[in-house]
Amino acid sequence: MSPFWPRLGRQIGDAAFALLPTLRYARPEKNDCSGEAVVARGLAAGARVDGPAAFRAADFSIPCGCRTALIGPNGSGKSTLLRVLAGLVPPQAGEVLVAGAPPALGRSRIAYLSQRPQLTEGFPLLLRRLVQMGTYAHHGWFEECRHGEAAVDQALAQLGLTELADRPVHALSGGQLQRALIARAFVQGAEVLLLDEPYAALDAASREIIERFLFDQGHAFTVLMATHDPADLARFDRILELRGGAVLTKHACSGHDHRHA
Amino acid sequence: MLDLLLEPLSEPFFVRALLAVALGGVTCACLGAYVVLRRMAFVSTALTHSILPGVVGAMLLGFSPYLGALAAALLTAGGAAWLASRKGASEDSAIGVMLSVMFAAGVALMQQANSWRDFAGLLFGSVVAVGAADLWVIAATAVGVLFGLRVLHKELELASFDEEYASLLGARPGLMRMVLLALVALGAVSCVRLVGALLTTALFVIPAATGVLLGRTVPQVMAWGVACALAGGVSGLYLSYYLPAVPSGAGIVLCCAVPYLLARLFAPRR
Repeated sequence: MSPFWPRLGRQIGDAAFALLPTLRYARPEKNDCSGEAVVARGLAAGARVDGPAAFRAADFSIPCGCRTALIGPNGSGKSTLLRVLAGLVPPQAGEVLVAGAPPALGRSRIAYLSQRPQLTEGFPLLLRRLVQMGTYAHHGWFEECRHGEAAVDQALAQLGLTELADRPVHALSGGQLQRALIARAFVQGAEVLLLDEPYAALDAASREIIERFLFDQGHAFTVLMATHDPADLARFDRILELRGGAVLTKHACSGHDHRHA
Repeated sequence: MLDLLLEPLSEPFFVRALLAVALGGVTCACLGAYVVLRRMAFVSTALTHSILPGVVGAMLLGFSPYLGALAAALLTAGGAAWLASRKGASEDSAIGVMLSVMFAAGVALMQQANSWRDFAGLLFGSVVAVGAADLWVIAATAVGVLFGLRVLHKELELASFDEEYASLLGARPGLMRMVLLALVALGAVSCVRLVGALLTTALFVIPAATGVLLGRTVPQVMAWGVACALAGGVSGLYLSYYLPAVPSGAGIVLCCAVPYLLARLFAPRR
């Protein structure tokens, strides 16, 4: 077939897009974290808004660039806290600021990676497209994915996924998928990275790649990671412990900005 | 052999039906990709069956059957969403309730009319039923639905693959679901003349299911689905033309099943 028809099709498609206004999913925010990345005062929350609270009166803050571990026994509310900060669950009481504003959906500065991402099984999607979804935060409605290619390439390379970019998502191993999801969060350009036990069920190789990515590269982001692994804790600047409905802080981050450390 | 293919083309009604099945097939195959990938086959069945009371009611009252069908389909979608919105209610059973209630209402309305025969075409499709005005409705629907799928492609894909990430970005997966249901209702309404209320759902499911076996990305699934729908639709019409006992809807669905079976047997395992 001559290239005429595909080209005509693409031109009609482009014309269709040109007819429509560009609407952001949410107001764009600048990434210029200064001071505190997360501040919570008297925060109470439960897995459901009208359910019992997992923790009450939590007061803590996390400085920008600080890598923080979130520990505590099962059911202590680690996942709930992360989901509150991501804007997925409203708090029951108290106030909380993430990157200078209350958590809400549609905030590109906050990236959240669930413990068990609910991905549609067998969905026809290539790994590269999955990572590209992070750039949607900088696109809007009715817009074809046009920019952010360089960031996607960089994230793929740093997480060791360049070779796998054209693999279907459902053919990836658990570790490869987890790396792809972290790459997607990075491509989103988030300031605050909320990770819920990202190492669960990973092999050593994937885990090492992710650790290197999060800790050794001096990226400009704040990490709050739920973890059960005591061997992990030495890597973090600060430890938040959820116990008996309260938040305890250990090893406070020193005052300087860890991004430039 | 060539004469067998060319002879029906001298009949204007057959040409109209061919155009209708091409436009409707493309529309339904593209929409069907999302219907199949999101496991919405049951709700699409409910939407297509609920067209029946809409069309019959509109005929009895004397206004456009398309408006009646669209109203009934939207009522079904809204009703199922409302029934399922109560805590602890399953969406599955809500759809089942709406499906059977609407279809029963359609059967009751049909008894009010004079004969069942008028409605056989409505249930199973009829090649001769497509008039010039119907063709315009089908074409306009195809343009509208394909335009909607094109401009919302990235949001629909994201919301269908990872609903939580879609809400985190602010891409409104709940809204996308409703948009998709509305598009499915539109597509179903436009195909009902040709394929019939009972079988329209097959146009959503079978071509797209074939596409899922063969495609690696959503656009590829749609492309394979369109190919399957066109091949099945055109050969189904010929079947129905030469075997008048086979209603066009039945012919189209049977012929669509052939590429699906071939893909199921011979597609490489992914």
